[in-house]
Amino acid sequence: MRTALRILVIALVAVCSAAWLLLSATAQKRRNEFFHNTAAHKKIDCASCHKTPTANSVSVRGFPDVADYPGHSSCVQCHRSDFFQGNNPAICTICHTAPSPRNGTRFPFPVRSRSQEFTTIFPHNAHQDIIARNERPDGTVPAHFVNASFGGLMENAQALAYARATDAAPPADDPPPQFNNCAICHQTLSAMPKFGNRQPMRAQALVQASLDSFAPRAEFFKSTPEGHASCFSCHYQGQKPVRTDCAGCHRPAAPYLASDVITRYSLRFDHQPQHHAIKDCTVCHVRITQNSDISTMKDADVPFMTCAACHDKDFEKERKNRAESIAAKQPAFQCAYCHVSEIGRFETPASHRIP
Amino acid sequence: MLKLAPLTLLVLLACLLPGWAQVPPTLGSIKVQGKGVKVGPKKEQPFRKRFYLLRGGLEANKALVDRLRAVEPASRDCFYCRSKASPEFIDWLKEKNCETPYCREITAEDVKKVPEFQAAYRKGLTQFRRPELARKWITTNLPAGLREGIYRQKKTLLAGLLGDATPLQSVMTDSNNAEANFIDIPMGAKKTEKFFVSNLLPVEMDGKGYIWVCEIEITPGKLAPLPLHTKKCETIIRPLPVCAAGSCDNK
Repeated sequence: MRTALRILVIALVAVCSAAWLLLSATAQKRRNEFFHNTAAHKKIDCASCHKTPTANSVSVRGFPDVADYPGHSSCVQCHRSDFFQGNNPAICTICHTAPSPRNGTRFPFPVRSRSQEFTTIFPHNAHQDIIARNERPDGTVPAHFVNASFGGLMENAQALAYARATDAAPPADDPPPQFNNCAICHQTLSAMPKFGNRQPMRAQALVQASLDSFAPRAEFFKSTPEGHASCFSCHYQGQKPVRTDCAGCHRPAAPYLASDVITRYSLRFDHQPQHHAIKDCTVCHVRITQNSDISTMKDADVPFMTCAACHDKDFEKERKNRAESIAAKQPAFQCAYCHVSEIGRFETPASHRIP
Repeated sequence: MLKLAPLTLLVLLACLLPGWAQVPPTLGSIKVQGKGVKVGPKKEQPFRKRFYLLRGGLEANKALVDRLRAVEPASRDCFYCRSKASPEFIDWLKEKNCETPYCREITAEDVKKVPEFQAAYRKGLTQFRRPELARKWITTNLPAGLREGIYRQKKTLLAGLLGDATPLQSVMTDSNNAEANFIDIPMGAKKTEKFFVSNLLPVEMDGKGYIWVCEIEITPGKLAPLPLHTKKCETIIRPLPVCAAGSCDNK
């Protein structure tokens, strides 16, 4: 009986110690991470911590922005005791690289590798409306709202006709047109991004992917905004939501790690050839002008019908090749006009079939 | 046992059929085509104009059509004239047929010419201390009425015209061919269905306001072309008030 009691006490002590260790480790971990979505933080107005602009913003970003962490005063009101936890308090490591009385160096703001807690609210439709011209500009390739001066227009109507008639690259002194409405936020990349194949969700792969050495170039891809630069040029003040109205553009979300990998179904698609570059972006991205919430967009959203409008003969060849390979009971033909083999080996989706 | 066999067969068939049968398409699509519209000596076309899609044909949307027939469009010139914009500001908009100052880049030359831009630039220079930034962010220092007033006015007009009607979708025509696509229109099990398509807000061309009111019957799985210049659409043309700079009333 006595032995049993001893064992019980030892077990109880062990369990309690383990629980204490676990809890303190979690608490320690939580102290060196910052979460906006805690009950206490959610009660606080964003502007009570984040100053807009921060003192360093123009030197760091080149324009007034939120480019630094909130000051100590924002944290200390509630977390005073955490600042005195040991020699190297965990709370300091949220912002400081090597916290010490003599080293105030902070991580760049924001830390991209940390989990994100907000999604962006961006209504493409309202932006398309407010910037509309009444007509296509004379003598200009189709382009529309041209605010914020990201590049110039190709003021040469002949290039449009030339491009329609040929597939050749434009003459060197005629740069491809900049569709400035979209180009304010989405610019052609000059450095190779990380990229990958966007896997079809429901379709079945018919065969193993054949060896495919195709490599897209940087110019195949467009950028997406990563900061406030393209927003603040209109929304810094006056035009709502303004810089201090964080909730006007940022919606709280469950923490997630943002990916910088651009994935595509059609990796072979190149925006740059003249027959693509002369087109208004909305000719292919047909749902953009009706999209009121970027979070509802699955992807860049180019329905097959927009490609088929010009490329149906090319697709017909692919369909024929696939049908023949299947009829001959050979490995299925892998579509390669738009796709790399990793995607081209999947069964033909309903949207790609002849109506 | 034998009596149960047909029933078992039926249940089996019911389970297997959905897999075998081709699922009929339930989504429709419409291509609005403004290419055939050519208005006035400049042969203006409805580029970059928003069109709305509503369920039902003309009859089902009669009240809306009546409101469209009676609409009194306001011209861009009158809006800015009443907003007390300078003649230089109005000329700048007209130069590239813009509706708002967001339409195109405001150059250093424009800042010199247009008093509103000058004032906004000076404010920006004091605030941002960088000439280039003051110019690029010039709209952040423009008065609200000049900046977004016409957009707000159009939104109010649109809300009044629509009343209780709720569009299924709205899309904007492109600037290549003045075309727009309504896609993925939910139609359920219907073989055909009538839809109503209109730009609702008068499009200003050659000094008049143009509204297209169209009825189209569509079949799921097929792209239905809707040329605005054909008999599928009625064109309502409304005169626009004329406001020369300084001669508008301030209603």
